Amino acid sequence: MSPAIPLLLPWAAAAALALADGQRRLVGWLAAAALASTFALLCVLAGEVFTEGPRQIVAGDWAPGVGIVLRADALGALFAALSVGVLLAAFVHELLKGGQGRLFPALVLFLCTGLVGLFLTGDVFNFYVFFELTMIASYILAAYGGRGRELRAGFVFAVVNLLGSFLFLLGVAAVYHVTGSLEMQAVAARLRDAEPSAVVLIAVFFFVAFGVKLGLFPFHFWLPPVYASARPGVAAMLSGAVANVGSYGLLRFGADILPAELRLGAGVLLVLGTASILYGALQAVSRRSVSEVLAYSAIGQAGYVLIALGIGGTVGLAAAVIYTIVNSLNKTLLFLAIDLRGWLVGAAFVVGAFSVAGVPPTAGFFGKLALFQAGIDEGSVALVALIFVGGALSFVYMFQIYQHDFWRPDASGTPPAERGPRSSLALRTPTFAVAAIVVALGVLPEPLLVAGREAAQALGAIAS
Amino acid sequence: MTLIPALAVGVLFGCGAFLLLKPDLFRIVAGIVLVAHAANIALISSGLERGQSPIHPLAEGPVSDPLVQALTITALVIGFAVTALLLCLAYGIYVSSKTVDLDDLSHAEARDERELEREEVSV
Amino acid sequence: MSLLVQGLARLLLAPILMVAFAVLVKGYADVGDGFAAGAIASLAILLQYIAFGREQTERTLAIRLLPAAAFVGLLSALAITAAPLASGDPLLTHTPGAGTEPIHLGTLELIGAFAFDIAVFLLVLGATLGIIHAIAREAERVEGIEPR
Repeated sequence: MSPAIPLLLPWAAAAALALADGQRRLVGWLAAAALASTFALLCVLAGEVFTEGPRQIVAGDWAPGVGIVLRADALGALFAALSVGVLLAAFVHELLKGGQGRLFPALVLFLCTGLVGLFLTGDVFNFYVFFELTMIASYILAAYGGRGRELRAGFVFAVVNLLGSFLFLLGVAAVYHVTGSLEMQAVAARLRDAEPSAVVLIAVFFFVAFGVKLGLFPFHFWLPPVYASARPGVAAMLSGAVANVGSYGLLRFGADILPAELRLGAGVLLVLGTASILYGALQAVSRRSVSEVLAYSAIGQAGYVLIALGIGGTVGLAAAVIYTIVNSLNKTLLFLAIDLRGWLVGAAFVVGAFSVAGVPPTAGFFGKLALFQAGIDEGSVALVALIFVGGALSFVYMFQIYQHDFWRPDASGTPPAERGPRSSLALRTPTFAVAAIVVALGVLPEPLLVAGREAAQALGAIAS
Repeated sequence: MTLIPALAVGVLFGCGAFLLLKPDLFRIVAGIVLVAHAANIALISSGLERGQSPIHPLAEGPVSDPLVQALTITALVIGFAVTALLLCLAYGIYVSSKTVDLDDLSHAEARDERELEREEVSV
Repeated sequence: MSLLVQGLARLLLAPILMVAFAVLVKGYADVGDGFAAGAIASLAILLQYIAFGREQTERTLAIRLLPAAAFVGLLSALAITAAPLASGDPLLTHTPGAGTEPIHLGTLELIGAFAFDIAVFLLVLGATLGIIHAIAREAERVEGIEPR
């Protein structure tokens, strides 16, 4: 399986479906079929990469430094499959709910293309191009709906993330000036011999760009209004798929291309991660609106990934990968579940809540366990205590939402689960599927742990 | 020779950052455009070499770097698309809120928040 | 718009489109590109919009179809990108291969890169015209003119 096929399929589908009217059911289902095929292709690709090793093609049949390299290694294939799976679940949810506009299926397919492109590329500038494609699609999706609140949130989203993108572009210009190459492996090799102060500056540019994307503490201001006012399916896509770009960028550009700078900046990463966790958790506890609580929770969870990166080493990087996967699934599940009403929806929400807090038998338990292991390896009592405190606070605010939205009856005596129209079984299916995956990974964590380990080792292999 | 492009990048980025801090939607868009152009000039200046055209160099001597120009045109096209999108968003906000002043918009946002809290509390 | 502007717009349409086509055609070996050609051609049509207004310019069927042609251009570009996959070569391999003589149309060489440039030209032209059309319609709505 060549890495080019899962990239070209959603791109062609997006261009073709943009010509048709997206409000018709057939067009929506064709888009869902395209997403599902891309997901299947990426799972096959990930399977091949995990068993046989990385796959690489060079566009135009040139040598790797001259042509653009498309490289599927364990980390990229894993993230691509995860993100497209999340997109598929959220898109099917929105499709079954109905009421989307003419261009919605095409936009989601363009988002899918951008994500697959940036996870599967081995060229720094190509990463920037697909990064911009992803972000433009998500700016439009976030502002979809057109009323004042969405538009304001979309504008803030666009301006802040554009600043991050242009800082990334400055970093790319600096990389080309210092190394003379754009291909990731060559850049990693040449940066090791380059002047240290220039490389630190490049590392700072990349860190700020991906920190803005992920919603880390000093760069998080755009996140709550955007996640709170977007439609639930779009919020699930943004938090479960687009946020992965930030984690992947930190892992690829930090641990892979600039490992010495990552070790150098470990202290800063730990401090910012701690600040993110505490800030996100405390703000989430104090909010009343469900989507705002989930948005601040997203800020907190990003802090855990940063702490795992700060700890570093194979254990720390594996923990970062595992935690990103778990967080992506959690956020998708939670954002989709708060939009539904009906039988067993509360149970799905509880699964997500337990996973965020790190309670077995959910996947979140193994995410927190990997973090605890990394913290104990580091020998730091403070980190272990912090992770524990963060987990306890997440349990508090998740329970608050559950009580408010699913348990306590309102003034007229109806329990919340009966308020509003019941969602059809078909509409509840994507949410139940994601909940089932979270529980399955919690009971049989082997695939998750193997995936994390393989992906972390792929990073070490490239740099050394 | 790299001093002049560096000064240009600095001046453009500074002006762009100054405009981004203004309380008017369209000035923010103008600030983003200036920052985009600063990044583009940084991109060109990362491969500054005065020389022959690389497709068919006619004599011995240095050849100019074509890769940077390809990178810059890609970045320019992306910047163009993004500017168009931002202007549409700003115009949409103007149509829905009848104002482009950020202070007025934040008052509207605060009003929305208070209404949301009132709904939550009554429920 | 004044008579001078309208007269000039009518006279300049064909030459500007000719310049755009020239930039497109020499793109693979000289300064030029599908993107630059698309931008120049859309400038020509923008001049018509300014001189004659929206309805009169859009009476031609071709202009009304051009924004949709953007996606046709994108699909053709993707098809040209993916075509080498059928014969086992990676993406975007040059056709014809190194060393073979391409088909000549006068001094113009018909190669894969030229077809790709035409696709990019359509994409840029369609996208820019879509934006211009939306702005023109919105401007009329704001001024109170009924869109026909």
